Amino acid sequence: MTEALIGFAAIFVLALMRLPLAFAMGLVGIVGIGLTRGWMPALASTAQVVHETGFAYTLSVIPLFILMGNFVAKAGLAHELFHAAYSFIGHLRGGLAHATIAACAGFGAICGSSIATAATMSKVAYPSMKKLGYSDSLSTGVIAAGGTLGIMIPPSTIMVIYGIVTETNIGKLFAAGVIPGIMTALLLMVAVIFMTFLDPKHAPAGEKSTWSQRWAALRGIWGVLLLVIVVLGGIYGGVFTATEGAGIGAAGAFLFALARRRLTVQATLEVLVESARTTAMLFTLLIAATIFANFVNFTSMPNDLKEWITHLGLSPLMVVAAMMVIYVVLGTVMEELTMVLLTIPLFFPIVVALGFDPVWFGVLIVMVIQIGLISPPVGMNLFVLNTLLPKVGLGNIFRGTWPFVFMQIVALGILLAVPSLSLWLPSFMN
Amino acid sequence: MNKLIEKFCGLLAAGALFAIMALTFFDVGGRKILSDSIPGSLELTELLMVVVIFAALPLVSLRGEHIVFDSLDHYLADSVRKTQRAIMQGICAVMLLALGYLMWQTGDQFLETGETTAQLKILKAPFMYGMAVLCVLAGLIHLRFAFKPSVAPDDGEGVTL
Repeated sequence: MTEALIGFAAIFVLALMRLPLAFAMGLVGIVGIGLTRGWMPALASTAQVVHETGFAYTLSVIPLFILMGNFVAKAGLAHELFHAAYSFIGHLRGGLAHATIAACAGFGAICGSSIATAATMSKVAYPSMKKLGYSDSLSTGVIAAGGTLGIMIPPSTIMVIYGIVTETNIGKLFAAGVIPGIMTALLLMVAVIFMTFLDPKHAPAGEKSTWSQRWAALRGIWGVLLLVIVVLGGIYGGVFTATEGAGIGAAGAFLFALARRRLTVQATLEVLVESARTTAMLFTLLIAATIFANFVNFTSMPNDLKEWITHLGLSPLMVVAAMMVIYVVLGTVMEELTMVLLTIPLFFPIVVALGFDPVWFGVLIVMVIQIGLISPPVGMNLFVLNTLLPKVGLGNIFRGTWPFVFMQIVALGILLAVPSLSLWLPSFMN
Repeated sequence: MNKLIEKFCGLLAAGALFAIMALTFFDVGGRKILSDSIPGSLELTELLMVVVIFAALPLVSLRGEHIVFDSLDHYLADSVRKTQRAIMQGICAVMLLALGYLMWQTGDQFLETGETTAQLKILKAPFMYGMAVLCVLAGLIHLRFAFKPSVAPDDGEGVTL
């Protein structure tokens, strides 16, 4: 146990000293195994992890879903989604904000990245909200929070990574995210209603669309619907695996972008290289996290923790709730993916030993990441918006995000208390 | 030099990723519609994955896109920060160079044992050597940043989630 604790402390110290987190985890893992098991086993297991992670067919699901998201962002499908959502609810008070959340949810169904969703929506929704006199804090808050729906509503990069690290079925994880994703979207809308009720000047109503305009707007999102039906329907219906679905989705998104004349050779290259860079960065983290997890598993820590928690006599649900509190607090200051990769070797065996479904825990993990992505002071979505909309200012963005953070914590509580919200849809899958 | 690396590694990674996408699309399409898959497509995807990951690794280093915890930056003096960054770049360089060496050795072992893929019998050793070379290239980029911090990029937050 002591060795593992020293290992965790060493990672935090190295990370605070600005060593990239992947390198910190890898270094501590190798040194840890070297000191406890010997240097030859440490080097041999490192070579094996790098080899196995690199040459893994199933892991191609990661770059393919990233590629799909990037092609979808390039294809400009977000405009149609926003337009369709606006035509139905734009005339309500705060209608543009509601439409942004609905469009984010729709975009999340074809893109597995929170940041890509927020970045795309900032270009589509922010100018419209600004034009109608929406406050900057509400506009950016709603985009940042709506963007996080990208990782709950399948496909989801983080679900894929969680599935790989914990060997949980990715198709079931995707199915599990649907209801929590829709529920979170509705709760975010409640936050908008609350904000506009308190200060109606925050968000004036837009123009009401006629039914013919609405149908026309709906026809514009056929591309999104087709991709959702083919990719998610295919995975959910057992027609193909998550990896195959990702390949079909990426190729489909590429063809859409091509057909909509959004892709030149240069633009295609940029999308491919950006996706490859994200993949390389993610795999560096995955390799390092696996090496570190191997070290932790060599120590007695996972068993000691399990025994300690059993002796505490807490109810299993209280244990998971305590983990969630730790995640929410850590998420305010840490990069979320690293936080999860670091803690999974400790928390996951406990959750399984307590008899909980790994799919449910996966949904909770995604929810805490959603919260972390928009919790000041270190929330990735907030930084992305600050970069894309520099005139708004980080202070305004922080102010606008709090009601949504609160609502996402409510969503986390509901998902924790009612596991069937996550587990009902996967129960239909073989 | 940077442009050359960007171009070479970028084209390699982009080409491999596009190939994975096309391969999966036609393989799945062929299997579902014509009941005929591309022979060895899984193995080819595995080999291409290695190319995507390791060809893009120098690009991530070049752009400073590894995830870094930078919250203490505001509290440190400029000189301390510069020294600290140089040391950390040095550690990254040593780790990547060592990994390159390890991969090269593994490549030697694969060559000796004649390790190939199961179906298409493609030798794995050249890919291990490629991984080694690209790790060394990424290591050299960090080494350059360690000795010449002025050319190092500002660290990005990564583009993960």
